[in-house]
Amino acid sequence: MLSTVSRQLKSHPALVPLFIFIGGGTVMSGAYLLRLAMGPHVSWNRNGNPEPWNKTEPTQQHKFYSVNMDYSKLKKEGPDF
Amino acid sequence: MSDVIEEKIKNYRTAPFDARFPNTNQTRNCFQNYLDFHRCNKALSDKGQDVAPCDWYQRVYKSLCPLSWVAKWDDQVEAGSFPGKI
Repeated sequence: MLSTVSRQLKSHPALVPLFIFIGGGTVMSGAYLLRLAMGPHVSWNRNGNPEPWNKTEPTQQHKFYSVNMDYSKLKKEGPDF
Repeated sequence: MSDVIEEKIKNYRTAPFDARFPNTNQTRNCFQNYLDFHRCNKALSDKGQDVAPCDWYQRVYKSLCPLSWVAKWDDQVEAGSFPGKI
């Protein structure tokens, strides 16, 4: 199937940017999904690792991009027990 | 340590920013503080210490959670059918 596609592409070279942009979009969305899946807000193993968001530092930034937020000044709020 | 917490509880205005829950959806923040309040009560009373510092978690979840959720969970805790791990 790949040989059919590449043969057709050779006769219509103007379609190459289409593949580039669609492929790039797929890669970028897949990469963001992976980034979300590996984040601390999702618990994959209910018995072994039930609350991974509790294992992070109070100063750790979880968002991709945050505006006007100085993370270095945060501390753990509640009492330890 | 506990007088720091006492002072924080005395000067409490609202739930502070929690880096674990930075987005608009604060559901998990509410549930986590509810869990932490009950876990803190259980842990400190098992150790025989004063449970007053746990009030911080109670203030936070009372600021965040809808009253109907708190009422439902309180009933469930009393009945022993609360789904979270305390």
